[in-house]
Amino acid sequence: MRIFDKKQNQKERDWFIDYWAEYIKTHSDREWSQQQADMIDSIL
Amino acid sequence: MEFKKNRVVLDKIINKLDRFVLDFVRALEKHTNYVIVSGYVSILFGRTRVTEDVDLLVPKLDLASFKKLHDNLIVNGFWCLNSSGVAELFNDYLSKGVAIRFAYSGKSIPNIEFKFAKNRVDEDALQNSLQVEFKGNGVLNVSPIEQQIAYKKIILGSDKDKEDARHLEKLFEGHLDAEKLKYYEALFRRK
Repeated sequence: MRIFDKKQNQKERDWFIDYWAEYIKTHSDREWSQQQADMIDSIL
Repeated sequence: MEFKKNRVVLDKIINKLDRFVLDFVRALEKHTNYVIVSGYVSILFGRTRVTEDVDLLVPKLDLASFKKLHDNLIVNGFWCLNSSGVAELFNDYLSKGVAIRFAYSGKSIPNIEFKFAKNRVDEDALQNSLQVEFKGNGVLNVSPIEQQIAYKKIILGSDKDKEDARHLEKLFEGHLDAEKLKYYEALFRRK
């Protein structure tokens, strides 16, 4: 049994990267950057 | 996001990392040209991750010029994590190609990884930087996107770097200079 399928995981990560880049292109800067700010500001 | 020649305009909600970089650059740019390279460039353009350091290159300075810049950073609320001795920072770090780190006074993260340009690629980034304008909140110089993509894919090559490159490629689709991208890819493959 394979515990972790790195290739499949990367495929899933790549899907999200493409999804998010498309989201940025099709939404206002204020909209996507608010979500990014919420994430970054909660960490820093 | 508006794409213009050598300039991108962002109407972005400024996060804490953006604020830190803008504050640092405001104190720095009175003294020298600069360019921001690597991870923060992807984050600036929306990558959903954070970083503890922001890589920044400046042209080689002499000790007197570096001292003025350093002192102005201190006055503006930053400190250098490596040392408080200007001559030590210059002689033992920067002149030997070693980066030094600046953060807000009393803090360690996030920090700016500050170094002198040391090769043709660094000089190229400085001379051909892309200007990123935060509507009404300042401008940052970042390395050409084509250089970033090729550098991350070929030279750095970790999963994280490849993901950063993929993000930039998707986001800048239709705005990238294909010849420039080929040039950087060929340059980095030879290294």
